[in-house]
Amino acid sequence: MAFEGVCHLLANLVEYCNSSETSYDFAEDEAFNSEIEMSNFMDANIHVRDAIFDKYSKGYAPESHMGEGSSSLVHASTSLHDFDEGIFKAEDNPDCLRSRWQLEAYLNQQADILEKDPSLVPLNSFNATMSQLQALAPELHRVQFLQYLNALTHDDYIAALDNLHRYFDYSAGMQGIFSRSSSSFQDIIVGKYESALLCLGNLHCYFGHPKKALEAFTEAVRVSQMNNDDSCLAYILGAISNLLSKIGMSSTIGTIGSPYSLGNNIGLGTPLSIQQQLLVLLKRSLKRADTLKLTSLVSFDHLSLAKFDLKHVQRPLVSFGPNAYTKLRTCPADVCKNLRLSSHVLTDFGVDGLSASSDNGSFSTSWLRNLSAASNSWCSSSTKSRKVLTNDFDNFHFHAQPSPIPAAVLQLAGSAYLLRATAWEHYGSAPMVRMNSLVYATCFADAASSSELSLAYVKLIQHLAAFKGYSAAFSALKLAEEKFPSTANSHIQLLKMQLLHERALHRGQLKIAQQICDEFGVLSSSVSGVDIELKTEASLRHARTLLAAKQFSQAANVANSLFSTCYKYNMQVENANVLLLLAEIHKNSDNAVLGLPYALASQSFCKSFNLDLLEASATLTLAELWLALGSTHAKRALSLACQSLPMILGHGGMELRARAHIVLAKCHLSDPKFKVTEDPCSVLDPLNQAVEDLQVLEYHEMAAEAYYLKALVYNNLGKLDEREEAAASFREHTIALENPYNEADSLSY
Amino acid sequence: MDTPSLSGSAASGGRLLHLHRSGGSSFRRRLRPGGGASEAGTPLGGVSYVSTPIPDDDAFDVGADKYLLAKTYFDCREYRRAAHVLRGQAGRKAVFLRCYALYTAGEKRKEEETIELEGSLGKSNAINQELVALERELSTHRRTGAIDSFGLYLYGIVLRDKDCEGLARTVLVESVNSYPWNWSAWLELQSLCTSSDILNNLNLKNHWMKDFFLASAHLELKMHEEALKRYECLMRVFRCSDYIQAQIATVQYSMRDLDEADMIFEELLRTDPFRVDSMDVYSNLLYAKESSTALSFLAHRVFLTDKYRPESCCIIANYYSLKGQHEKSVLYFQRALKLNRKYLSAWTLMGHEFVELKNTPAAIDAYRRAVDINPRDYRAWYGLGQIYEMMGMPFYGLYYFRKSSYLQPNDARPWNAMAQCYESDQLQMIEEAIKCYERSANSNDTEGIALHQLGKLHSMLGQSEEAAFYYKKDLERIEAEERQGQNFVEALLFLAKYCKNIGRFEEAELYCTKLLDYTGPENETAKIFCKG
Repeated sequence: MAFEGVCHLLANLVEYCNSSETSYDFAEDEAFNSEIEMSNFMDANIHVRDAIFDKYSKGYAPESHMGEGSSSLVHASTSLHDFDEGIFKAEDNPDCLRSRWQLEAYLNQQADILEKDPSLVPLNSFNATMSQLQALAPELHRVQFLQYLNALTHDDYIAALDNLHRYFDYSAGMQGIFSRSSSSFQDIIVGKYESALLCLGNLHCYFGHPKKALEAFTEAVRVSQMNNDDSCLAYILGAISNLLSKIGMSSTIGTIGSPYSLGNNIGLGTPLSIQQQLLVLLKRSLKRADTLKLTSLVSFDHLSLAKFDLKHVQRPLVSFGPNAYTKLRTCPADVCKNLRLSSHVLTDFGVDGLSASSDNGSFSTSWLRNLSAASNSWCSSSTKSRKVLTNDFDNFHFHAQPSPIPAAVLQLAGSAYLLRATAWEHYGSAPMVRMNSLVYATCFADAASSSELSLAYVKLIQHLAAFKGYSAAFSALKLAEEKFPSTANSHIQLLKMQLLHERALHRGQLKIAQQICDEFGVLSSSVSGVDIELKTEASLRHARTLLAAKQFSQAANVANSLFSTCYKYNMQVENANVLLLLAEIHKNSDNAVLGLPYALASQSFCKSFNLDLLEASATLTLAELWLALGSTHAKRALSLACQSLPMILGHGGMELRARAHIVLAKCHLSDPKFKVTEDPCSVLDPLNQAVEDLQVLEYHEMAAEAYYLKALVYNNLGKLDEREEAAASFREHTIALENPYNEADSLSY
Repeated sequence: MDTPSLSGSAASGGRLLHLHRSGGSSFRRRLRPGGGASEAGTPLGGVSYVSTPIPDDDAFDVGADKYLLAKTYFDCREYRRAAHVLRGQAGRKAVFLRCYALYTAGEKRKEEETIELEGSLGKSNAINQELVALERELSTHRRTGAIDSFGLYLYGIVLRDKDCEGLARTVLVESVNSYPWNWSAWLELQSLCTSSDILNNLNLKNHWMKDFFLASAHLELKMHEEALKRYECLMRVFRCSDYIQAQIATVQYSMRDLDEADMIFEELLRTDPFRVDSMDVYSNLLYAKESSTALSFLAHRVFLTDKYRPESCCIIANYYSLKGQHEKSVLYFQRALKLNRKYLSAWTLMGHEFVELKNTPAAIDAYRRAVDINPRDYRAWYGLGQIYEMMGMPFYGLYYFRKSSYLQPNDARPWNAMAQCYESDQLQMIEEAIKCYERSANSNDTEGIALHQLGKLHSMLGQSEEAAFYYKKDLERIEAEERQGQNFVEALLFLAKYCKNIGRFEEAELYCTKLLDYTGPENETAKIFCKG
């Protein structure tokens, strides 16, 4: 070591020893009781002297001083031990040394927090902390990466872009996100610009610029091929498939104009549809990740494949001759297989003792994570400890002890459960949805990001709304809102609007329903192809509102245009829904003949995508349509309704069940051979059931219908008192429907 | 007196050096009272200026001996000793000198530490240890009013070093308002004015020093027309000022009026042959004009005058670069940067040299450092873009070109570069490329790339009408500049074909005859055309 270096070392040591004693005195004398600390960045036991830091640490709750004495010892020794790695001196506290290791651990933790719940991290004060760090440790470029993440999660496009470029310029790829585990000398020379491009692509993807994102990814593919960076390539492929699945594009032609375009890379001359490309990319990514042993990526790809299988029919790319057998159905077995395989990441992790460092990449920003594992014990951040308090499921977590499984792995394993819930939602099994969401919310809440966790909550609340009515759902929503402020969390916000809209439709408050529809429309981005699911839902709800307002031709128009959009973007599952809606519209406009083909089409769509519950409901609609054609078809309608009953009674929500019951009763009543007096129970029982459910839902229109039917039946039976009672209820509901009371407070709950 | 012509060098010189000077000047001013007042009376055409306030100094007797002693120590660069002598003195001047000596001592230690820890070009985490104490003391003085304009100036730079820019600006404005001849204070103020909005919102008294400041600030903010106008105004009053001349030449250079600037610089060198200030700009100019003899002459002269000035090193580096000795050039740029780590153009130019040496990581680093010192340096952004383009990442590079063109919207070069990225094999976004080239052609593209490429791209897209339009324009331009070459031939060939296709045979014939002047395969094609 150079002479000056030794001088520094000695001088600083002396100062350090002196000061750590004096600062103890200080703390007692001057009563630094505010105990505001820059969490673990500052030491746990040396108080911040400068009041300036007050503003930086606003976001952090005061930290408990557990293990104060021992941690200071550990601390001093590590800073000595890591002296060669770099010394960092805090400006306000010149005697407090930090090793690079400790700083990086701090950065890891911040990255985790940012990813988990960005709303916990205030944009500006975090930036201030980071620039402070930057001033103190200019060679630590990761700070810039964190600033990038911060800007990204706070939707600051320009700052994110600037920081991204700055980070990769400075580190010149040397601190590339994957280089930590396998940084051979060659890598450093070549640089890791492909990871810069990967991040850039993800940034554009995040902000909804699909074209730019694709350009960045194609360039990334090219550069990583040039630099023989296989692992990065695998990640890029994963990212591209993520992009393709997320963003609606009718075709890639025109978006990827280069001769290196993905279509040609695949090696088939004919241009592929976007779905085919997606499938090919996913399979390539999976293969590559498998050979490179990137466990997390394998798991991610399995998840994406499951997602793909859920919604799309796998067609063979090239079929030879007319005899080639194509099964135009989705295959739930594939979905399950992929979900199961994706969860293997957990067991693989346990068996190999694989560090998650190299495999997690930009999806989870866990390039930092493995670092913290060792040193995390002392740097239990205040934010985390606060989380411990708020999170009911976290009682087992003793936060001085690092979790044996990295959060990223847990997260992936968790998403498998979330995806399972979604899959069952499609296939139509309510208990399975509920169970999987519950598993997610209880077992993975700790590692989950706020958006994913809120998604699980959303599913649970939707389940509640369907089976227990709105009041239960809204009280649950209130609880969820406390946990995730709805302004920050789009899932919760969306759910709130969905519930409000449905309730308004049921209560017949059409103005409010329309208002919420408009709000829906505002939520999505104006760029075409972005937020496609949100847009679909918005116009679906718009059509429903119009239907409820009995503006049939307009509703049909909206639904038709929605159908063509869905067709354009290959969203077949949504198409099944839209077709069913069209059938409903025609049914309600007394055009049963026109409605029949739509219902049949919807049914066949449902069959090929295994959407059992939706199929049952389509069958029900079909029964209603037949019924509307005249009493001669009552027999056929009855058999159809009975066909759908097991599914609906087993898994359907209250509304669907009530509808089925009413249809059943109607079928019996319109059957000329059926005599009420002979078997009143077969009509009255379903009607009573329906009425019960509809009361809870406050669905006035259908409740009125049910009561009307009941009154008719009682009339036939000659039970006058009951008849009068049913008629009064009928009247009540009709009035409620015609004069929707206190509209003002129906936006509240 | 401390006019800009005297301390203009401080603008680009090291901070230590120039602070030193301003400290000295305050003392000299003190010894010749009244000199400022007579100059303050100089009226400037039609504008009413405030008269210069004369700071009420403390009585000279109070601790005069100690002050003199301290001043002497200070001049001997024994800063801590100077501060020690003045301890307990309450006079304003004594306080200033003590604080200033402390600050300088802290700066000196900081520089030493930087070199000890990181090497001379490292990014240091060293800080001036005196800042906290100084800030505390000076802020109390300011609150109680016991501070003079120099104290305020010092307070301003302390605040700037502590990143309290807003307050620093206010304090510096106070300082220059109470004593306008402290050019160093103006310069610090200028470095804090990073946008024209900030500049316009400064509450400055209408002193004539303000004109110097505004002109210089406008130059820094690339508002070249305004700067030039102001300097020309000032030139009418201060007829023999070298400083103003040099600034005008710099403006001309920035406006790419190379010949005009060249003339002024030559004139300057004639009257002031040992000048080093602003000569780095001159060397850049000579480099751009590729006049190696003049550059060589300049380099040799500054080498003999003062080879350890950052400007000199930069000039010499330019000289080596023009000679193609890039390693040596880098060496000299590094030396310039050792002398002044915030020397913006040296970082950028070093980046260029690294590009020549194909050392991309180093080049990126150098450019990035330049950009971080001054985010408005469009050349560094451009350089970054160029590197990424060279590395086969045109899409990634676009970001930097966009930055560059945003800062220099009327410069054709960034637009051309952007267009080239768009039309590269990898991106092939022809439409966007055309838009960029159009922009470039509208902003006086001297290299003449845009028109030709526009013609070519349009013909590629099958829009032959537009293509013909641009080719014709390109032809006119080439003929006006009396240059010939492959572009000329291509344009002629296209136009001949085009005119023939739409039946304007006479025109086609005209182009063909022009083509016949050239040898090569086009000649044959032209002959076939003429026959057919």
